[in-house]
Amino acid sequence: MTVSASGSGETLKVVYELLAPFNKRGVDLGPGVRFSEDLNFDSLVVMEFVAAVEDRFDISVPLNLLPDIATIQQLADAVDRIVKSDKG
Amino acid sequence: MADIFDRFAPLMAQRDSFFTEAGADPFTVRMDQVISQTEAMIGNRRTILCGTNNYLGLTFAPEALKAAHAALDDFGTGTTGSRVANGTYVGHKALEDELKTFFKKDHAIVFSTGFLANLGVLSTLMGPDDFIVMDADCHASIYDGVRMSQAQIIRFKHNDAADLDKRLARLADKPGNKLIVIEGIYSMLGDTAPLKDIVAVKKKHANTYILSDEAHSLGVLGRFGRGLPEQDGVEADVDFIVGTFSKSAGTVGGFCVSSHPKFDTLRLVCRPYIFTASLPPSVVASAAVNLSIIRGPEGGALRKRLRRNAQHLHARLTNLGLKIASGPSPVVAVVAPSPEMAVAFWRGLIEAGVYVNLALPPATPYGYSLLRCSLCAAHTEEQLDEVVAIFGRVAADLGLIERCARKVAGA
Repeated sequence: MTVSASGSGETLKVVYELLAPFNKRGVDLGPGVRFSEDLNFDSLVVMEFVAAVEDRFDISVPLNLLPDIATIQQLADAVDRIVKSDKG
Repeated sequence: MADIFDRFAPLMAQRDSFFTEAGADPFTVRMDQVISQTEAMIGNRRTILCGTNNYLGLTFAPEALKAAHAALDDFGTGTTGSRVANGTYVGHKALEDELKTFFKKDHAIVFSTGFLANLGVLSTLMGPDDFIVMDADCHASIYDGVRMSQAQIIRFKHNDAADLDKRLARLADKPGNKLIVIEGIYSMLGDTAPLKDIVAVKKKHANTYILSDEAHSLGVLGRFGRGLPEQDGVEADVDFIVGTFSKSAGTVGGFCVSSHPKFDTLRLVCRPYIFTASLPPSVVASAAVNLSIIRGPEGGALRKRLRRNAQHLHARLTNLGLKIASGPSPVVAVVAPSPEMAVAFWRGLIEAGVYVNLALPPATPYGYSLLRCSLCAAHTEEQLDEVVAIFGRVAADLGLIERCARKVAGA
């Protein structure tokens, strides 16, 4: 699985796919969906989900970034930034 | 207009529904008289203490009491100053010397609490280009310490050396140092880190160090009580050991030891060391005496008794049909099926004269609701039998033993 730096649409698709097993409420996934309020993620679920994202994209998502990631779009953007900086 | 405390309203409502309505609030327990290391009067009820982390029972060690009394008379009730100003007395240096002897390390720094030791070392040691790779189940003081640092924080799955390896491999191309942070014994469930495997992972990766928090394993593990690194024979590979005097050492205060030649640099840059008053002279005096007891023959005998007590309580509670979160260790955490049930269980225990810790999610791993017992070397077999009998009675009253037994059978 490779994701190009400008492929935010592609990244979003992968994020939806990774979210499926964590989407216990069956929420309609879209870029604006919020992890905490809409998907009811607690800290344990966040930990598991972040690990899934890291494994799929082969990146490290530091804990420091999490406070700034509230929505699916923000996560996809962060993933793209990390993938890009890892390549650079 | 919003009150400044309004944002805590959901939490307070939860507290009320859990505790006030249940008629038992663990946040209001008050020890009115301490009878011994293992008994206290709570109100007018004589209570067996089975959740104090006083693993070796050294809070009333006669030699430590004597040293504390002498220090109190000679040096007063407090230093009124920071370690870097007027707060370093001969006793603080003597305690640091004792720590160096105790751990066979070249350097030791004493902090005012264990929490501050983690806060100080973790917030200072690693810079913006560095990475802290920590076990997900680490203590709140570690989480707060790493958040105060400028480093990038990565978590690995609890006690999973392969997951740690994977995460370090991803950082291989990044410049900067990596610090693995783990605990010898994890406080909630009493499980130990797979330290040998973690050391093996560390050795595969460049510029990688280990910091181990031995708060609950100091005095408990290892032939001389030096904790998990001693027990696992990997002391040379653990670069920094953090710990506390508030558990086995029977008083209060924190420390970090290391043989890194530049370790003392921390004294100049570590804010939780610099900007707080140092420990009172009586406290450092008793800590030093208790450390020397812990590494001596008496310490060995106490560890043996502690292990025997832990195995006894673990076996008897398991026999009752209760679910225990991990194998025998000085922490025996009984798993309740729900937070509400755990509160009722805790209330039943305290009203029958047994004090344990009530631990609820999100402060617990796996979302467990726990009746967390910690053993003391000074517990007698009779006391533990009484604890078990009361556990059995309360669990039966709550209809829990059958429920737990079915769960175990179904697992």
